[in-house]
Amino acid sequence: MSTIRQAVVDILVERGEDPSIDPGEALFTSGRLDSLAAVQIMLVLERDFGIDLAEADFDISRLDTLNDLEQLVSA
Amino acid sequence: MSSVTGELAGRPTPLGSLAALRRAWLGIDKNPAAIAFTATPVGTAVIIAAFLIALGASLKVSLPTLALTAVTLAAIAIVPARRIAIICGASIFFFVMRPFRISGWQTLTDQLAPALSAVPAAAVLPAVALSFLAIAFAVLAAMCRWPQSAAARRPVLSLILGWFGVLAAAMWAPPGTPTHALLWILTGVSISSLWYLAYAAIDLKGKAQMPVAARASFMRPFWGGSAIPIGKSFGYLSKFDARNEDELATTRLKGLKLAVWAAILSGLLFAAETVLYEAGPLVPLHDAVLAHAGERSLGTGLNWAIVVTNYFLDLVTIAVWGHVIVATVRMCGWRIPRNTVNPLASRTLAEFWNRYFFYFKELLVDLFFYPAFLRYFKGHTKLRIAFATFCAAGLGNFLYHFMRETYVFATADILDVIWIFQSAIFYTAVLAAGLIVSQWRGRKAKPEDGFFAYHVWPRLNVMAFFCFLKIFDDISGEGTLLERAAFTASLFGG
Repeated sequence: MSTIRQAVVDILVERGEDPSIDPGEALFTSGRLDSLAAVQIMLVLERDFGIDLAEADFDISRLDTLNDLEQLVSA
Repeated sequence: MSSVTGELAGRPTPLGSLAALRRAWLGIDKNPAAIAFTATPVGTAVIIAAFLIALGASLKVSLPTLALTAVTLAAIAIVPARRIAIICGASIFFFVMRPFRISGWQTLTDQLAPALSAVPAAAVLPAVALSFLAIAFAVLAAMCRWPQSAAARRPVLSLILGWFGVLAAAMWAPPGTPTHALLWILTGVSISSLWYLAYAAIDLKGKAQMPVAARASFMRPFWGGSAIPIGKSFGYLSKFDARNEDELATTRLKGLKLAVWAAILSGLLFAAETVLYEAGPLVPLHDAVLAHAGERSLGTGLNWAIVVTNYFLDLVTIAVWGHVIVATVRMCGWRIPRNTVNPLASRTLAEFWNRYFFYFKELLVDLFFYPAFLRYFKGHTKLRIAFATFCAAGLGNFLYHFMRETYVFATADILDVIWIFQSAIFYTAVLAAGLIVSQWRGRKAKPEDGFFAYHVWPRLNVMAFFCFLKIFDDISGEGTLLERAAFTASLFGG
């Protein structure tokens, strides 16, 4: 099992982005990562952390920062 | 040795001066002196005035809208603490004055207004618009009050079903009656703002606190645009809010830069269209398709030129349109991403969609892709991505256009006009298929593959796909699917 931070860093590296990341930095709403990257994050959350995000009309902006993601994982 | 653009014997050449000016302009939002000046009252006034001139020069904003923008930006600058209230007020005024932009709905409203003889014709549309705002308020308030209700848990689905309910009632109402007229006008007003309402409903679950009345007033913000919510909702905007005076000045400078760029692109677009279509031998793609269908084809060479030209002009048109709106949002203090960002750099279809029309892609992803992805085919990753992509680029894309154009059913039998959507069905199906394949492909070109394989070939593929797809991007009903297919085949000698 990887940390959610590592998963985000891996995606940034895979896309040729600077892997340095501020915990409060917007990842998706800023356009730094696209919807396909969001899909990868969701798959990691489901597979590695057992989190089910199956809420209709789910809003990706609620997973927009590393802080958001770490809060979700630790909840 | 000095370069052409450099200095010659210590004196700058004209080209060197121009290059330096360009660099200074592009870096103005990072220039401490410019930021400090913009943060002053005089600087703010200068920036707003320059912005309005650029906005006017873009030729994409009517004079009344320009005046409303001027008043709103001035009010925000004078009373920044009341920014949201000012924007809500301006947006309600804009919405009531101009609840939709689609000429088909306006024509239909003009046709139906006489049935409402008890109300002055000029008051019909504002009255229906205000009624819609009241409905939006009631819907959002109810979702807040009962968050566990089916409608609050599935707001997008509920709103779409509710809208189709109004459409069905309008279609069944006896023609010529006030009920028929009112329901059809309400259908048009509500589809122009339905996606704003959907974002506002989703926003209720978010962190941003905002009175329901403010959310309900954000059904068509004063910065205009189509039914596609550029800026989405107050929750989305809050993520890009300037946190201090310096950030606000920087954001306004970015808004000014984008407005100037929009004006330049608009001028280039006007010149290109004049040279190519009026002085030159080319015609718009739609006309070329109709000419071919009418056995008056312009010839293979010209048709190829028309298809390629249409691709580039369409990119610039969308860019100007989006830049004007995003620039206005930035002038209000929200540094939101651009709608169009260098689409020619795209190496995949998905990347192009993201770069070409960001907020429409966001609408489809937020409201169709994620809900489908999170609910269906969880055990099959590829099928899951494919189905969600189909729901967004295929179903959602078609629904958006179909719902927007339903005014055609008001005055004609449904079976007589439903065929006009055949090209749109084909367009969205091919787009969805292309995006699915694009996402399934595991290996993407890398820099080590060489210049042609990395920089040129993927971009040519993307360009070719959208060049041809644009031939089918039509919902006017003029030119059938077969005629468009025949035009495409003729490009290859068919």
